[in-house]
Amino acid sequence: MIVSPPSNKWETAVSYLPRILISIALLAFVGYLIVYAIYAVNLFRFPFDYDQGEGFELMDTVLFSEGEWPYRDNDHYPFYSSNYPPLFHVVTVPLVWLFGPQYWTGRLVSWLGTLVTAVAIAWGVQRQSKRKRWWLSALAGLAFLASNYIYHVGPLFRQHLFMVMFETLAVVYLTATVDREERDGRYHPKQLLIVMLLLLAAGYTKQLAYATVAAVFLFLFLRQTKRAILWAIPFAAVTGLIFWWINISTDNWWLVNTVTANLNPFIKEQAIGLFKQWFKLHTVITTIAILFAVYQFYFERLSAYSVWFVLAMLNSITAGKWGAGESYFATAIAASCILTGLALNRALDWAEQKGWKWETAVLTLIALLWLVQAGKVFHMPTHTPTLAAIAQALGQPSEVAIAPQTSCSAPRDPEPVYYVDSAGVSLLGRPPSAADTAAGIAIADKILEGETAAFSEDAGFNFYVGRDIVTNPTQLLNLYQNNAVDLTDMLTMLDEQSFDTIILRAQFYPPPVLDMIGQRYATTDLIEMNGFVYCVMRPVKSSR
Amino acid sequence: MITKRQLGLILLAMGIFGVIAIFAVDWLGAGDFQGIGPAQRIALLAAAVVALLGLTLLPLGDRPA
Repeated sequence: MIVSPPSNKWETAVSYLPRILISIALLAFVGYLIVYAIYAVNLFRFPFDYDQGEGFELMDTVLFSEGEWPYRDNDHYPFYSSNYPPLFHVVTVPLVWLFGPQYWTGRLVSWLGTLVTAVAIAWGVQRQSKRKRWWLSALAGLAFLASNYIYHVGPLFRQHLFMVMFETLAVVYLTATVDREERDGRYHPKQLLIVMLLLLAAGYTKQLAYATVAAVFLFLFLRQTKRAILWAIPFAAVTGLIFWWINISTDNWWLVNTVTANLNPFIKEQAIGLFKQWFKLHTVITTIAILFAVYQFYFERLSAYSVWFVLAMLNSITAGKWGAGESYFATAIAASCILTGLALNRALDWAEQKGWKWETAVLTLIALLWLVQAGKVFHMPTHTPTLAAIAQALGQPSEVAIAPQTSCSAPRDPEPVYYVDSAGVSLLGRPPSAADTAAGIAIADKILEGETAAFSEDAGFNFYVGRDIVTNPTQLLNLYQNNAVDLTDMLTMLDEQSFDTIILRAQFYPPPVLDMIGQRYATTDLIEMNGFVYCVMRPVKSSR
Repeated sequence: MITKRQLGLILLAMGIFGVIAIFAVDWLGAGDFQGIGPAQRIALLAAAVVALLGLTLLPLGDRPA
């Protein structure tokens, strides 16, 4: 931090105020980083699904590690297929080769990806900062990791934030490339090629990256119109060729599973609720990003970051799709962190020219804004005495009461959960406990009482006992809603009670499947894990 | 390189085209509602905002967008 020298003792004393406040802000965001690491390490140790669907991403990785595609025919046993592009799983394959089908592999890759994203955000701010204010760049990067949404999803075996990493790297590197080209007065096609490869990587990590691809080409169109078109053609061709190659390699199951199955119903209330929550949690960085984008729109050239932020924000409306959620705001959050860092740097540059009083005032305001943002995203596990004491010292509760989620038992009374989150009641974010691991093992043991793989909504239990992974329920539901799956074989097997064990968590299976389970199986055990009641079912004695 | 005025014209055209397309949904008989449905109202508002943003850029002339 650079503060022009004050002229007397009083001014000297006042000039220390922003330094103290900035130090507190840095401390707060470093605290969030520590909390993020605690949560991640706890998740790495947990051998079952924490978030629904993690196990199926592990299954995709296992299939890739065996040289097979996960885009398959869902009509026949084991009724399994994936709806996600391959890159995240392919990157995780070496860890599965080395350590076997472990949940920590993909969780580690995703978590490291978020750290890379934070560094890219900080570098994006730092490289455009005239005075190289490291603390401001660090705050911009740390603010990304401190977001409740990034915290919740970052250490999960999910590919979404790995996509955001590629998106962020692409846009930051695009900005560096175009800046260099404008400075040098000549093109650097090799650098732009790297940007294109990063975009391709983002798209083949998750389809949602299309908004960032559009933002990059829109920005290029504004700056270098003809070149944007010339690069868009080969980019589209390569993207299409890869798509076509995977599709013919999988007998068209790639198209069915990644496109048809993603045409889900839009839930307006879900979208509105998530937009309100996103803005409430990220008020400071979102407001500054919007104001800076508007400023650039009217008073200077639009940066790649502004174009990216606006398109990412608009694309976040897709969070209202069935099966989507808070993670769909991650790209907009990354962009807003960069824009906030750049805008605050600009404000400080201006204030420095006005003298120490302005500089001190603006620095103080900036520090306070970061502190307000830190307060808005408050989240903290409180499962250890130290963390509980810190939460209480900060005026927060040390536990909250949440009723376990159940789809197949009577409602249960609220139970203490040792995790506090300003986003509200959340089953993501709480580090899994030893009791959760014991519950997972108990459910897995139920499978071992029978001879077959379980027909299970979570893959983790079959993984744990080394049996087949049968079905991907949300994918089956997606396909069923789009008339793209034939359930005959599955219903026949359920009718014949070919599975010794059924395990349900949220009853995501298509209605005819749930109906058949209800007719041929009965609940024998209710076991609670991670705040969910799992229903273990056994075949009922046939009356036929 | 695109100027502020050109960007304004592009946004204006997009907004107008958007409004026409939204009404075309009714003329072609698509959509679940008689008259303007809730999704169409939101889309109309968005198209109008885009067109308005485009209009406000027109006076900014040949400055780079």
